[in-house]
Amino acid sequence: MKALGSSGWKGPVKFRMPTAENLVPIRLDIQSEGQRYKDAFTWNPSDPDNEVVVFAKRTVKDLKLPSAFITQIAQSIQSQLSDFRAYEGQDMYTGEKIIPIKLDLRVNHTLIKDQFLWDLNNFESDPEEFARTLCKDLGVEDPEVGPAVAFAIREQLYEIATQSVASAKESRLSKKSRRGSDHGSASKASGLSMDLVKLFSFKSSVVRKRKDLDVYEPVVDLLTSEEVDALEAREERHAR
Amino acid sequence: MEAIDSSAELELYTIPAQSSWFLWDDIHEIERREFEEFFSESSINRTPKVYKEYRDFIINKFREDTSRRLTFTSIRKFLVGDVNLLQKVFLFLDRWGLINFSPSLNDNDTLSSVDNAKIEQGTPAGIRVTATPNSLRPITAPPLVEQRTVSGVKLPPLTSYSDVFTDLKKPDDVLLCGHCGQRCDSAFYQHNKSIINICEKCFKNGNYGGENNAADDFKLVGDSAAAVWTEEETLLLLESVLKHGDDWELIAQSVSTKTRLDCISKLIELPFGECLMGSTSGRLSSAVPTDDEDTEQVKTDGQEHEETETREENEDGPPAKRKRVALISDSDSSLMKQVATMASKVGPSVATAAAKAAIAALCDEASCPKEIFDTGDYTDSTVDRADGDKDTDMEEQKEEKDEPQGLPVALRIRASVATALGAAAAQAKILADQEEREMEDLAATVIDQQLKKVQSKLKFLDQLELIMDAEEEVIEGGKETILQERISVLQCAFRSGVTKRWDHTYVK
Repeated sequence: MKALGSSGWKGPVKFRMPTAENLVPIRLDIQSEGQRYKDAFTWNPSDPDNEVVVFAKRTVKDLKLPSAFITQIAQSIQSQLSDFRAYEGQDMYTGEKIIPIKLDLRVNHTLIKDQFLWDLNNFESDPEEFARTLCKDLGVEDPEVGPAVAFAIREQLYEIATQSVASAKESRLSKKSRRGSDHGSASKASGLSMDLVKLFSFKSSVVRKRKDLDVYEPVVDLLTSEEVDALEAREERHAR
Repeated sequence: MEAIDSSAELELYTIPAQSSWFLWDDIHEIERREFEEFFSESSINRTPKVYKEYRDFIINKFREDTSRRLTFTSIRKFLVGDVNLLQKVFLFLDRWGLINFSPSLNDNDTLSSVDNAKIEQGTPAGIRVTATPNSLRPITAPPLVEQRTVSGVKLPPLTSYSDVFTDLKKPDDVLLCGHCGQRCDSAFYQHNKSIINICEKCFKNGNYGGENNAADDFKLVGDSAAAVWTEEETLLLLESVLKHGDDWELIAQSVSTKTRLDCISKLIELPFGECLMGSTSGRLSSAVPTDDEDTEQVKTDGQEHEETETREENEDGPPAKRKRVALISDSDSSLMKQVATMASKVGPSVATAAAKAAIAALCDEASCPKEIFDTGDYTDSTVDRADGDKDTDMEEQKEEKDEPQGLPVALRIRASVATALGAAAAQAKILADQEEREMEDLAATVIDQQLKKVQSKLKFLDQLELIMDAEEEVIEGGKETILQERISVLQCAFRSGVTKRWDHTYVK
């Protein structure tokens, strides 16, 4: 029986990253003794916890940072991991959520701006694969760009997933008896998901309208060293 | 869409034979199976209509220009929907050859990968930039091998020799000085802001080419003076190694332009450099006086040795493995004797081929008439390069240097040394092959053992299973008997007319 009316509401799923591999994005920004360490990478939450300290030690050794960083790095990672784990026990509603993901990042000399749609319900999605294809098709040579793109995607997915947990809790608390379509309105209220019914109905076409094409096209820029320096200086100022 | 196709000219699109099930108007079973999510009616954004639109759009986009390779990113912006799903459809079509199937596309792939090979500063590994244009050093094999494997699964079409090799030879020609137009031999200076390169000479002379280029605008790139070895330097190195053996300080002094480390690394790079290192520690003094003083004697010695060599070799036959160990350990024999022993370790044909090739190479380099060697009466007057011994060829060329004196005797000595080394090369190759075969054998035995282990474990587990089955049966039987007994007890109870109440309590 067609369940179109309830727009494909599925039962709540346990919280996890809606990607093929349940990896957590971890961001580090530690300042101490006049040195600053910024990094962003993905972590597998099922790794044993002692790995965190091992990783911190190795990083400090490889980058020749002062050893005060070890505890700070380990602590930061641990706290982000425990945040993630706190969400893990809870339910989240995924429903039919196709969200636009925006990329606007600079990695060394490469600037990438892009926008595309991502289905939160698709638990086989793979940000790393997407990033690989993007870099290959656009001929990006810097090998650091791919992981940075994948990380940015993951971060956004993580944020949305946590939001959906919060909204699920909210809807459960406030409206215990009603289900289904209410959830649909709750997710739409977040303002992010697309109006799927309209898009995928029989009358409209899946081909994007011309006016939207520019928005959804990836743009890659190669900067010269001066521009990179200028941008970095601006970012520093913003950070302060 | 089909109407448009047919109203224009009827264009033929090639798709592979195994994709002939594809129809414009319909969605085939294969597609249904692959993309179940579209057909399970479980979601709004995945319907058959949507799938067909994606598919048709992608194929049409490809057919707009079949000569170019369609990338996912270029069509992604046109279609609304989850990008992962779109990629799945794209990959499906790509795999079945419904898009990106065209003979020209394979070419583009490999050629572009060759073009993208960075011909930056300096030369790629494996290619030596030589000082003298008329050197005989071959510039082949290694880089080609790397590039072929890099192009991956798509086998490149049968390109011609010149196609592939001219690309690789380019590095030599690229390094033209921006100012004087000559080739930059060892190092060149690159301008920071533009792409002007000037050679060392111009830099020293202050000709920076163009206006207002200051000296600081140039930075030194490419093979620095330390990394490029001219022939003279290599000759000096070898001679000093022969003379001084392990004393690297002295060697570095004699090869004045290179540091100690450079000498060591260069020697290791040279084929049999390590052999020389090991062997020369013993024969320090014997070789030198023989060379300088008893030239005439050596000449005749050489003749005799060559002849006895050939006779020896005919008796020796193919080398055994263990003989290798005792090869260059005798430290008191003269150079010629060592050459003879080395050459005797390999088969006779190999040694003669090596000798011929060495002599031919020498003659070409020194451009002295071949008759010098003819007087020794042990080579043919017409010498052709031995095709089967390319390895030894190249090595001998590297070993031989162009000395200005060009005494016949010196040439001969060098020829014989080169022969010996060439022979040793062949020997080494044979040994390496043997080692490899042994290794493979051992690996096979190990695998065998593992298999046996696994099999015995499986047998054990099978037996365990049987035992478990038997026990299960026994337990089943036990259960049945218990059930039977209960039934009989109940029957007895009923028959004896027990009251209802008692019944309940009992049953509970």
